[in-house]
Amino acid sequence: MTIDKGGSPIEFRLDPSSGVPTYLQLVQQVEHALRLGYLNPGDQLPKVRDVVAALTINPNTVLKAYKELETKGLAAGRPGQGTFVQASLTQVALPELSGLRRSMLGWLSTADEAGLDEDGIVALFTSVLRDFFKTRPEAHKGAGKTKGVA
Amino acid sequence: MSVLSLPAQVTPAPAAALRPVPWHRMIWVTWRQHRGMLIGLTAVYAAVSAFLLIAGLKAHHAYAAVASCHPAISDACNTLNNNFGSTYWTMANTTGIFMNLLPALVGAFTGAQILAAELETGTFRYAWTQGIGRIRWTIAKLTLLAVVITVLSWAFSQLFAWFYDPFLGRSAGLTVLAEGVFDTRGIDFAARTLVAFTIGAFLGMLIRRTVPAMAATLGVYLGLKLLVWLVLREDYPVAINTSGAVPLNTQQSAPATMPWILKTWTVGTTNWTRYIPVSRFWPMQFIESGWLLLLSVLLIAATVHLVRRRAA
Amino acid sequence: MNVIETTGLGKRYGKSWALLDCSIAVPAGRLAALVGPNGAGKSTLMNMTVGLTVPTDGTVTVLDGTPIGSPEALDGIAFMAQDAPVYKNLSVADMLHLTHNLNRRFDAAYARTRLTDLGIPLKKKAGKLSGGQQSQVALTVALARHPRLLILDEPLSSLDPLARQDFMATVMTAMTDDGVSVLLSSHALADLERVADYLIVLGGGQLRLAGETDDLLAEHQVLTGPAADADRLASQLAPVQDKRAGAQAHLLVRNGGPDAQPVPPSWEPHPVGLEELVLAYLRPAANPASRTSLSEVSS
Repeated sequence: MTIDKGGSPIEFRLDPSSGVPTYLQLVQQVEHALRLGYLNPGDQLPKVRDVVAALTINPNTVLKAYKELETKGLAAGRPGQGTFVQASLTQVALPELSGLRRSMLGWLSTADEAGLDEDGIVALFTSVLRDFFKTRPEAHKGAGKTKGVA
Repeated sequence: MSVLSLPAQVTPAPAAALRPVPWHRMIWVTWRQHRGMLIGLTAVYAAVSAFLLIAGLKAHHAYAAVASCHPAISDACNTLNNNFGSTYWTMANTTGIFMNLLPALVGAFTGAQILAAELETGTFRYAWTQGIGRIRWTIAKLTLLAVVITVLSWAFSQLFAWFYDPFLGRSAGLTVLAEGVFDTRGIDFAARTLVAFTIGAFLGMLIRRTVPAMAATLGVYLGLKLLVWLVLREDYPVAINTSGAVPLNTQQSAPATMPWILKTWTVGTTNWTRYIPVSRFWPMQFIESGWLLLLSVLLIAATVHLVRRRAA
Repeated sequence: MNVIETTGLGKRYGKSWALLDCSIAVPAGRLAALVGPNGAGKSTLMNMTVGLTVPTDGTVTVLDGTPIGSPEALDGIAFMAQDAPVYKNLSVADMLHLTHNLNRRFDAAYARTRLTDLGIPLKKKAGKLSGGQQSQVALTVALARHPRLLILDEPLSSLDPLARQDFMATVMTAMTDDGVSVLLSSHALADLERVADYLIVLGGGQLRLAGETDDLLAEHQVLTGPAADADRLASQLAPVQDKRAGAQAHLLVRNGGPDAQPVPPSWEPHPVGLEELVLAYLRPAANPASRTSLSEVSS
């Protein structure tokens, strides 16, 4: 068991069979960590060198991931120090979440009655989800952030 | 602007300012890579030298007795002379033959492997992509090794010349100008070892495999030796034409100083003789060593040319 | 800044061309993977960039136009040939000292630290080390020269998985610390997407594909749809690979950038993996409907 006491609260891992590009996996893991509270504003993201040595990936990939996080406004680099979390992701309020849940269950029973099985539902949902985010205007991209203490 | 970027590489100095890697670096490189070979050569020379020293002292001692025996024609002195011959003559012949073949062996065992081994093992892909460059690497290595081997060989041949001195004149024509003797003393032996080394190095680069290159080196050196013996040496500009008597050392006991008769011919009623006196030994040594040195330099240049042109 | 630039580069041995009409421009700061089957011309290309082979045709320059074999090129490029040649009867410490003497710049402290961290004894003769350790020694002396470009010819093919990871970790760390660019050849495709951000595909001595990995992956897609419609779409999009069954067809197309055409309604796009992409470009004759674009150079 190795405990990494230095720098960052999180550590990346890769899923080579997921089909998701490496840099995107890193971005998603940061966002996931933010949602779950592993990462908070002010925390340091793992150093590029450490990620590279641990995962044996191209440093440009790590930089690309961190740049993407920067573009999304989630992180910011400090010269000579590293990359730090800048914001947290919106926690959607509890009543809203239950409302979304209920409407989703309704849609699912309709799909089920139409004859779609689980895989069919997933395929349909994924396709519509992709189309939705493709056409979504850019301005809304930053709407899901709340600024935390930097 | 993002500060996320890899460290910018330090821009190296502009092209004109790149100083070459100094020559002296190759001293350690050459020594470390070839010290086994140099130590081996030194060991062989040392071992044979020990033998020559011990046997030579005995031979000199015995010969001194023969030389100081008076009168020289008496039975007692003849017996002493014959005893000396039967004891030491075979050894003298054997070592003489060995000495004549030795440069070929040295060239084959030292020169052939220098470049061939790098090509065979693939280490040239390392050596020729280093900062010093393959030309400087080759020139330095070959020159350093050539100098060391030549100096060692020269020292060794001095000892051999001393060893062989008692045997000069024991058979007709066995003077310092004789084929098997001239090559083993003075500066000729050293020059021959040098040329054999450079033949080995050149063939090693040409053939690219050590063992075939070694065999080829032996062959080429022996061919060169025959060429010198049979053809070239007679044409060195040291011979004298005379129509009178050939100056001989009248002392019967010094056949070691007999001149080398090249040819005789008759013009009308006059008999002409073309000969080389023993006193021309050193001019001949310089002539032969001189062109052997030139040949060696040309071979090194040819080797460097091959290194420059050919590669993977 | 391009670390390697070739124009119509070719090498002929006797009657056959080991490499033909290869034009690439590899940007700095990348790890460029040179992939292709054995005999595709990878080693030939690499040998020409380090000056060990003289081109028959075309030109090649390195490090932003520096001529091959010049002092600047020799100084700035470190090459590790296949099977990691080291002098077998020299100790590891001797190899360090040797490399120090043969170069202007050598970071002995880095080399010693690196080898000690890897557990490689400095006093041991290089020939007595394992294959993985010899590779690490060869890599270490190359990196200790702090080159601008590191060229590795099939460095992983004789290494076990653990040794491979150690080796690549060293390379990646050097890229991070030193900003060195890397050109690495391999005939194995696994794990390439993780490490390579520039791709050069050679097949049969010819360039099949070259470009930034992310761009290539983004520009290619597999379109799955009705076989009946496949001919029409194929004539429109010139697929790299065309696979058909009775009712269904999969077309691997290059459809990105400003000329990207919209996916027709009955067709579904799927992303392409790196391995799939490389294989598709290496097998042009698999299906008569597909055409490999020779000299596909991504700018």
